[in-house]
Amino acid sequence: MEAAERLVRTWVASPRDKEVEDTASGIASGEIKLLHVVKALGEYLISEEGDLRNKGVDFLAAVLSKCPPQFFNRQSTKVLLGFFTSKLDDTETVIPALRGLLALTAVPSLIEADAVEICTSVFAHVKMQALVQAQRFIVFSIFDSLIAKQRDALRNMGDTFLSAYIALVDGEKDPRNLMVAFAIARVVAIEFDISRKVEDLFNITFCYFPITFRPPPDDPYGITADDLRNALRSCLDASPLFGSPAIPLFIDKLNAGSPVTKRDTLQTLAICLPVYGPGIARTMARKLWSSLKLEIFQPTDAVTEEEALKTTQVLIKTIYADDSTPDAEIEGLAKDACEECILILKEPEKSQAKPAIKVLSAFMSTTPSISRYTLSHAIPHLIKLFLNPDELPNRGAVLTLLFSLIAAARDSTLKAASSTSSASPEEAPFLLPYKDEVLGALITGLKTPSSTLAAIEGLSALVTTPGLLEDEEVGFVVQNVNDVISGPREDASGVIDAALDLLTAISATAPTHVSESTLPLLFSALPDRAPAREDAAAREKYRAALSSLTRLCSQAVLFETLVVRLLTRLSLLCSSGASSDDPEPAAAYAHALLTTLANVLVKKAERGDVDVPKYIERLVPRLFNLLFFSALVDREGLFVATGRIVTVAARLVNLVIQTLPEARQKVFVDTLVAAYLKGEVGQLAAGDLKLPMDDRIAPFEPGATESQGNLVAMFSQAIVALRKEITISVGDQVEFLRKLLYWSVHEAKNALQRESAWHIIAAVVNKRAQDLDSLLFPQLAEFWQSEIQPPNSADSRRLAIGAWTWVSKALLVRSHPQALPTIDRLFELFDDDDVNWDAARAVGLIGATDKILTKKNHVVIKILYAQRYANSVLPKLVEGAQSRVDPRRQTAYLVALTSLIKSIPKSAYEHEMPTLMPLLLRGLDLPDTEIRANVIDTLLAAAQSDVSAGPKDIKDGSIVAEHATSLTAVMLKNSSVATMADMKVRIAALRYLAVLPRVVRYDVLHPQRSVVLKTLSIILDDPKRVVRKEAVDARTNWYTYNG
Amino acid sequence: MSAEAFNPNPTIVNTGSSWTRRKSASERHSLWITDEDEDDYGSDDGEEPIDGDEVFDLIRSISDPEHRSMTLEQLAVVSAPQVTVTNHKNHVFVEFTPTVPHCGMSTLIGLSIRVRLLRSLPTRFKVDIKVKPGSHQSENAVNKQLNDKERVAAALENPALVEVLETCLEGAGRRGQPADA
Repeated sequence: MEAAERLVRTWVASPRDKEVEDTASGIASGEIKLLHVVKALGEYLISEEGDLRNKGVDFLAAVLSKCPPQFFNRQSTKVLLGFFTSKLDDTETVIPALRGLLALTAVPSLIEADAVEICTSVFAHVKMQALVQAQRFIVFSIFDSLIAKQRDALRNMGDTFLSAYIALVDGEKDPRNLMVAFAIARVVAIEFDISRKVEDLFNITFCYFPITFRPPPDDPYGITADDLRNALRSCLDASPLFGSPAIPLFIDKLNAGSPVTKRDTLQTLAICLPVYGPGIARTMARKLWSSLKLEIFQPTDAVTEEEALKTTQVLIKTIYADDSTPDAEIEGLAKDACEECILILKEPEKSQAKPAIKVLSAFMSTTPSISRYTLSHAIPHLIKLFLNPDELPNRGAVLTLLFSLIAAARDSTLKAASSTSSASPEEAPFLLPYKDEVLGALITGLKTPSSTLAAIEGLSALVTTPGLLEDEEVGFVVQNVNDVISGPREDASGVIDAALDLLTAISATAPTHVSESTLPLLFSALPDRAPAREDAAAREKYRAALSSLTRLCSQAVLFETLVVRLLTRLSLLCSSGASSDDPEPAAAYAHALLTTLANVLVKKAERGDVDVPKYIERLVPRLFNLLFFSALVDREGLFVATGRIVTVAARLVNLVIQTLPEARQKVFVDTLVAAYLKGEVGQLAAGDLKLPMDDRIAPFEPGATESQGNLVAMFSQAIVALRKEITISVGDQVEFLRKLLYWSVHEAKNALQRESAWHIIAAVVNKRAQDLDSLLFPQLAEFWQSEIQPPNSADSRRLAIGAWTWVSKALLVRSHPQALPTIDRLFELFDDDDVNWDAARAVGLIGATDKILTKKNHVVIKILYAQRYANSVLPKLVEGAQSRVDPRRQTAYLVALTSLIKSIPKSAYEHEMPTLMPLLLRGLDLPDTEIRANVIDTLLAAAQSDVSAGPKDIKDGSIVAEHATSLTAVMLKNSSVATMADMKVRIAALRYLAVLPRVVRYDVLHPQRSVVLKTLSIILDDPKRVVRKEAVDARTNWYTYNG
Repeated sequence: MSAEAFNPNPTIVNTGSSWTRRKSASERHSLWITDEDEDDYGSDDGEEPIDGDEVFDLIRSISDPEHRSMTLEQLAVVSAPQVTVTNHKNHVFVEFTPTVPHCGMSTLIGLSIRVRLLRSLPTRFKVDIKVKPGSHQSENAVNKQLNDKERVAAALENPALVEVLETCLEGAGRRGQPADA
């Protein structure tokens, strides 16, 4: 008792939450009785002074809301209820009394009669207009809580409750209260008998439609327009009784609203119509349709059009929900709309035909009987049009329409199949009755150039409809499409590509048709011998066939045939190639054949096809056989000498090895080493061509021919693809690497051989670092001393730096502790006149990604290694490039910086942009075009990400703006053919100029506009077409650039 | 814009998926096929003069003033054979076909072509823009208006007109590519 009194007194003197909590916990623990609190409050509760009364009631209400509900017994609930309701007519205490009532609504001992009493007294005394938002919120919460806990009581009050509640909440505007009000309204509309109050309830809900609320910036309550929209929609579709007043309102909003309102109305209609039911939908069908039609045939935008089509579907589904009418007797909207659309389709080439076919296609995803009805009218109509000789010029348009319909029919069957369980009996495709006519029309259309593309699309839709075409019909389609692809390859409209896509789609389900009729056709276009140098037409023919094969043959069965056939041709070429006078066409042909295989294999590897590994037997040995043969027999070795063919073959080997399991790789690597290091080629290079016995493969030996040396590329690509568990069986690993290092600098005869050696070194160092550690680094130090230090020639030192770069890369990607010390040595060379630029470039290149050290090649890669590298090197480079002590060193640092920035991800240097910008601008003065192109690309990437980020989040905008004038000037200089010979730089500079107006405010660059426009008008006459294109885009952007 | 459309339901031509320039002669005659990863900028040497295809590329994606969602190419108002470039005479000739003979938008279409070329072609070219003979009822008037420097300049002083022109030219940079690409 005393505790309660003390707490009450303290609180009245200075209201703090603590006293309320103490009291509540006192009650919870039993130390304080509720009675004590009331007694202690006594004097305040009945005080003459309004303020004190308010405080008294407020304290009681606050304590109650903190107390656990089960502490109130029936008696105390009744007393408190009586007390609070009596306080409602006292203007001073109405607010705390409401709060008290809210606390009581959650109490279990509240009975129905109490709920009724709360309602009646709230209705009687509370004037919503007199309350502020937070207080109205309490009122809404009271009803929300009563609806949740005492729904029956409220329902039994009947119309009394409805009238009073509707009158009470009418005119509410605050979104927070509306969220609650909408939730209450939904329950009321669904569960209460509203039949006599429909209009009133309609008025207090539909008056909010459409929601145009836009939350204020930094809204602390986080209620979005979408929240309100969804809450409101849940009221609007709560009762079918709303149907007849609602639909005219929706039609009004649809006809008059902004695009946003239109979209909202269409979506809401689509939700409400099924609830409102077929009766009202049928009555209003015509009016609805005439509004929807407008949105489809004269759409404001694509999204609204899409929504209108969806709503039309819902309307049709609602009207014809009862699917028992025989198909022939469809009456009403579906019939009228269908006829209307078909009338428009009488002119298939006109623009209105498109929306008409969209409507019919939308009908396909409604009910089965409507789908059948639509097709039974539309298809015969289109077929008749197609066959009408007067409409001959419009056949393409007719087939395009037909295609839309076939695709829609297919999609609706597919959708139905995926939504119902697979156990249900497969329904025949809607199109089945018209299959023959449609197929006939499409095949006829295939033969006329103007309609070929549309026919192919139609056929694609046809063959992808499950259960429609018989196997021999598919064969018939393939036969006819073959005629298309054997036509001239030079097609502007992509007909052949479309035809190949169709054949690819067919080969997914029925590969035999394609492999039996299409492939022989294409293979017959591949000659046994290469066409002569002058015969461009023949060359064009085999290239066309190869490019078709590339698109077509990724399916397993087809690829197997492709490999066999192309390898046969390669063997033939290889064995006869040397004998001809001019071997180069043969080599080019072989290269084209191998490239075809590589392109398909790349696609298959990317997809993760399971049949790739088996080509370790079927393809890899044959490749080694071919190339070893030509390196040994063909003395001029043109096949291998140019390096191009070996490169492609190596790529094929690499792709296959990548997919092999560890055990198979182990076996393979042994045969590989035996062949390359010991000359035992029998196992590795088994194949048709018999390798001569008197000569052997020894590419690493001093004095090996260039052809033999090039074979290292295949060795390298195989090693690179090994898993990290595999050790190469060469005895001493470090010694092997050391030999390779020196071989790459001194023996290797061209870039291909050198890089191949470096790739091997990088792969081994990366994957087997743990075996090498102790011995590798002394060896590297020695290599640095003997090869990179001055007495060597500059050329040889450059090569050694190249090797160093790859070793560093290999260490860096796995974040090896020795990586940074190894890279740091390169800085020692920055004041060396001969190689400082090379060393500087290397510092940047090390951070770049490449095609060798990749996950696919099973390389050990630590995440974010590039960022970490950038973080450690960038500050050093910036400092070096800024220091003016030694201009030579400064330039080297600048070169390293530009090279690094090109290689690393943008996030790694973004925050440094303010410091980097002036340095990059200086980089644009360096004479090297490669560097300039890099710098411009970097700037461009930064600017473009600003453009896509939108004006609000522009990060570098201000930095760019700061340098805008000098940037503009330097870009103009670099985009003119008179001052910049390199096309790549000109293109990059023009692209930057094009993007500048989007990232810099107009007032900043306004003085430059006329100069830019004038200079660009000269650049419009650039000798190169690609440059002119960029110049046009840049100039257009500057024309439309204004404040 | 007037309430009555001049042609509410125009004919559309199928423009195909993508239109590519014919391969250059050098590419056709090279012995080796190019690898995928080599950039396709083409070689640095050799001049590529501006030709009809290139000029057509500039104007094909201008949108029609009456049907904003469609391009002049789709409505067959312009086509590649209707553009002629004579480099040694520094002359460009563009002919266009209004969709209906009473099309009141013809001048606007012509003007948008004129402005686009004014911005995108080197100043050495003299550009003539004409309605296809017999395709418009007031052919001469339109032709005269489009090729009169003074009148073109005067039209470009009119801010309302320029605004309409800019919206027509918005898509011109697509050069035949579909809008979403």
